[in-house]
Amino acid sequence: MLDLLFDASFAASVPRFVTPILLAALGGALCERAGVFNIALEGFLLVGAFAAVVGSYFSGSPWFGALAAMLAGAAMGLVFAEFNLRRGGDAIVVSIAINILAAGLTTYLLRAIFDAMGAFSDPAIAGFARVSIPGLASLPLIGPFLDGQSPLFYLALLMVPALSFFFARHRLGLRIRAAGENPAALEAGGVGRRRVQLYALTGCGALCGLGGAQLSIANVNLFVEGMSAGRGWIAVVAVLLTRGRPWPLFAIAVIFGAVDSMSFRVQGLGMPQQFTDMMPYLATLVVLVALSWWRRARTANGGTL
Amino acid sequence: MNGMREGTMAREAISWAVALAWIAAVLFILMALVGAPFGDALAAFLQNAFGGRRFSYLMATLSRTALIAGMAVSVMLSFRAGLFNIGGEGQLVAGGLVAALAALLLPGPPLFVLTASILAAMLAGAGWALLAGVMQLYVGVPLLVGSLLLNYPIRYIASYIVAHPFRDVQSGMVQSHLVPQATWLPYFPGTRLDIGLLFIVAASVFAVVYSRTTVHGYHARMNGLSPAFARTVGLPVRKLTLQTLAMSGAIAGLVGAIAVFGIHHRYIDGMLVQPLYAWTGIIAVLLVGMIPWAVPLSGLFFAAIQTGAAGMERSAGVPKEIALVMQAVIILFVASRVSGALVASSERKAGAADDA
Amino acid sequence: MRVALSGITVRFGALTAVDNASLAIEPGEIHAVVGENGAGKTTLMNVLFGLVEPEAGTISLDGEEMHWASPQEAIRHGLGMVHQHFMLQESMTVLENVVLCAEPVGRFGFIDFAAARRRLAEVADEHGIAMELDRPVGRLSVGERQVVEVLKMLYREAEVLILDEPTSVLTPLEKDRLFATLRSFRSAGKAIVLITHKLDEVMELADRVSVMRAGRLVRSGPLSATSKEEIARGIIGGELPPARQRTARAPGKEVLAVRDLKVAGRGGTVGPLSLSVCAGEIVGIAGVSGNGQAELIQAITGLASLLSGEIVLCGRPIGHLDVEDRRLIGMSYIPEDRQRMGLALGATVSENANAGRDERAAYTRGPFLNRAAMAGFARQLIERYRIRVGGPAALASTMSGGNKQKLVVGRELARDTPLVIAENPTWGVDIGAIDFIHGELMRMRDEGHAVLLVSTELDEVLALSDRILVMYSGAFAGEVAGAEADRERIGGMMTSRAAAALPEVA
Repeated sequence: MLDLLFDASFAASVPRFVTPILLAALGGALCERAGVFNIALEGFLLVGAFAAVVGSYFSGSPWFGALAAMLAGAAMGLVFAEFNLRRGGDAIVVSIAINILAAGLTTYLLRAIFDAMGAFSDPAIAGFARVSIPGLASLPLIGPFLDGQSPLFYLALLMVPALSFFFARHRLGLRIRAAGENPAALEAGGVGRRRVQLYALTGCGALCGLGGAQLSIANVNLFVEGMSAGRGWIAVVAVLLTRGRPWPLFAIAVIFGAVDSMSFRVQGLGMPQQFTDMMPYLATLVVLVALSWWRRARTANGGTL
Repeated sequence: MNGMREGTMAREAISWAVALAWIAAVLFILMALVGAPFGDALAAFLQNAFGGRRFSYLMATLSRTALIAGMAVSVMLSFRAGLFNIGGEGQLVAGGLVAALAALLLPGPPLFVLTASILAAMLAGAGWALLAGVMQLYVGVPLLVGSLLLNYPIRYIASYIVAHPFRDVQSGMVQSHLVPQATWLPYFPGTRLDIGLLFIVAASVFAVVYSRTTVHGYHARMNGLSPAFARTVGLPVRKLTLQTLAMSGAIAGLVGAIAVFGIHHRYIDGMLVQPLYAWTGIIAVLLVGMIPWAVPLSGLFFAAIQTGAAGMERSAGVPKEIALVMQAVIILFVASRVSGALVASSERKAGAADDA
Repeated sequence: MRVALSGITVRFGALTAVDNASLAIEPGEIHAVVGENGAGKTTLMNVLFGLVEPEAGTISLDGEEMHWASPQEAIRHGLGMVHQHFMLQESMTVLENVVLCAEPVGRFGFIDFAAARRRLAEVADEHGIAMELDRPVGRLSVGERQVVEVLKMLYREAEVLILDEPTSVLTPLEKDRLFATLRSFRSAGKAIVLITHKLDEVMELADRVSVMRAGRLVRSGPLSATSKEEIARGIIGGELPPARQRTARAPGKEVLAVRDLKVAGRGGTVGPLSLSVCAGEIVGIAGVSGNGQAELIQAITGLASLLSGEIVLCGRPIGHLDVEDRRLIGMSYIPEDRQRMGLALGATVSENANAGRDERAAYTRGPFLNRAAMAGFARQLIERYRIRVGGPAALASTMSGGNKQKLVVGRELARDTPLVIAENPTWGVDIGAIDFIHGELMRMRDEGHAVLLVSTELDEVLALSDRILVMYSGAFAGEVAGAEADRERIGGMMTSRAAAALPEVA
């Protein structure tokens, strides 16, 4: 039974599930660190997935698909910024509206552009080919996980140290952290909080867009209504758990991705689909509970935090 | 002074007009995209939201209003107490599922079965909401996250139950058997509108009375305005949280039961999730800034948008998802103006200037 | 650099915060701006610094008229400001805080931290300031944080330094060192503006003094041309209230006893702490904020759980009880943070006044509220505590700071409990309200209540307390009887590490 679960194809499938969650969560980290309570990652992902199909379909290149996804995601970030930062709408309200907007708009445009109901697949949608990087497959243990993935996966991997370095050493990274922690101090230093947050939201949108592209033109070659299927919410949880720090975020994304991938596998072994669909959410809850207990135990021991 | 007030009012009016123009522009662009005639679409929209032969469409709108307004009332009770319970969907599904199962399993006279099933549904909704509350209070999982995540397991549990043990196999659909016909909610005389609406009216009245006149409602509202204040003056915050969530969840469960006994007469997979009743309820509350008496009206408004859009699809070929876009855009423009009243968020924002 | 403000007027809605104020700041001079809370001092300086746009009036630097679009421009022209609430990022290091918003950047906007270190080394040498650059600010004491703020200004080469109430969080020793640093800046030709409400500091340090009252600049001139009494009269627009007389009385039986209490704090465990408060005495806890006072009070009131130890109120152990039960046994609490904890600003005065009332039957009818009774009670408080507000139905947010505080004080004292806990009860309120609140606390003491007062204002502790406990670094550093307390002795107990960062007073 275990052999059936954890074989080479399991290894190869984990990154497919990790990538969208990781990209969305890294985007969410930008917002979290900048002090924008963005729980619209689900909507951003969905729009990205749709835009990727549109871009790829009309250009014939997955790269244009990814570009379109980034632009569409960034545009959603701008919409968020307009209503939250400029018009002063509550971040939770704006997030909920954007999630609904994304669900409505993608389905509407699916019918308006492709005249398709529910799902759209077409040979003209060019998907990402798997990239094999010489030498990667022969790495012990992690080799099978790393080799032969979509370029977006490698990009996502690179983004983890990149974002970490960005927060530590880049001017905008420093200012984003300041906007999240003590925005009044940032303003007193003469830098507008909202401008910094606008950049963070735009970046977040673009990253989520890429995550969406992974869903629609790397994992499969089609768009399905609501295909983000709660992954944006899991990314939100990952961001909240790690307070937007890239490396812990990576660890959490890998756990969630692995569970996601495992649930996909056990479905093949005859477990009812409903139970396997539930697994990522239950896993998320379990992680949440475990982590908060762990934190509590640490403070109760009187340790200096 | 007077002139100043007039000036502000004029500015207010203009900015509302601009917001309306924006909403209209977005809709116009979307309709132009599918080449729908704007006038026909609008006529179809109005006809389907409020008209029809013997007002049959209006009845559909009202029936949908019952569900949306019910969810809105449920959510409002939580929000006003500062509890960001966005797990209404899970509580609704729990209620609907339990209502259907109870009606299928319980023996006895129809009225007893109906009453017991509705109560069981309310208990189920309350229980599911309490689960999120317990996770927040005793485990430390934020309510916003916990309540949301709990939406998914119950959705799949319900789906499994009507797909396997309780499936009406002959129908070929993923749904339960019909509940006994004697337990169906009757129609208002001479209409095709079930009396489920009355339950929601009762729930709304309860919510208004509760919020305005009871000690519990007062304390819950203080907690909503400032949790730190409520704790400091010694209000029983934990008890308030759990009791409020239980009320909120019970109303969501009631809505689920009404969907079963009034509309579908069985549990169909996805019947409470796909139409986004819970989310629409949330935005209906946000639209009116959580003023209790306005919440049902706001529910009616969104129900009309949805049934109207369904009509546009039939008559003018505009995909009905335009309703979702419309709702979202309205919330963005309108609620971003009134969400200053959103008390639960006050904790996240810096306090107002003190002595300035 | 010479700064001139002329005819500055600022309005917030109907309130005129600054009314046609003009003032000149000269290089090589320390210019004190004094006045009560809400007199407009801070607002005027925020105008100079570009944080608030004035409705009328001009700012000129060396005779050239300036219009700030943002503080960034003011900073670029050599202005620097240390705000009353420090503008620091606690999770960042000292270095990151200093460079934030003035980052030396290399290619692609990456920060050249090495260059920043070199510059800071120069600055530190010049003024003799030593600071570990890689420590997170969250781990620094309040005094050390202020040094970081000073470093920020020096790093930006500010020529005009504005300090808003810089000593309110410092121990006497830290204050002396800060003043020495400011004098060294004065000799270096910088212009320094000191916003304060403490007259002793003005007399000690300033060259020139400007007095503000109710948004107006009532006088401005060299310190030598005026006297302390004259400035005081200018501040309040009349004579000072007479000093408070305390009646001698022997303390009664013990009301509150805390034994070996330990609480989890932000920077580690606070405690073990032991103290007792008897009927008819005021026990004052002095100390710089952040030394464990907040944790102690939270543990006593039940807002935080204890790690170990015992709390006894009126002879009953209460360590395991919740807030409600503790209040019922006999505790009232005036919290420091009236905006969040003391009041629900979005609720009405009446709703605020009745929250947490012990006699539930007095304002309810079964499960329902008796709105008339609630409003009646609120009206009583408004009259008795002379709260200026529209009425019971007005929102709490519409009151001024002093009146908000009076409402909190009134609600808590009206409960007439054996124990009263007051935490910085006069923070940020005007002189009239301070006098009134002090009077009420004294009255409670004289009537035989036990009062536990926590205050970071040493003067307040000295004026009111029968016994004084000094807190430092999560423990009591000493106890002094109120009658024999003097500032130097208590100041010594409040010592903190920050003193080492600034040079010794020559």
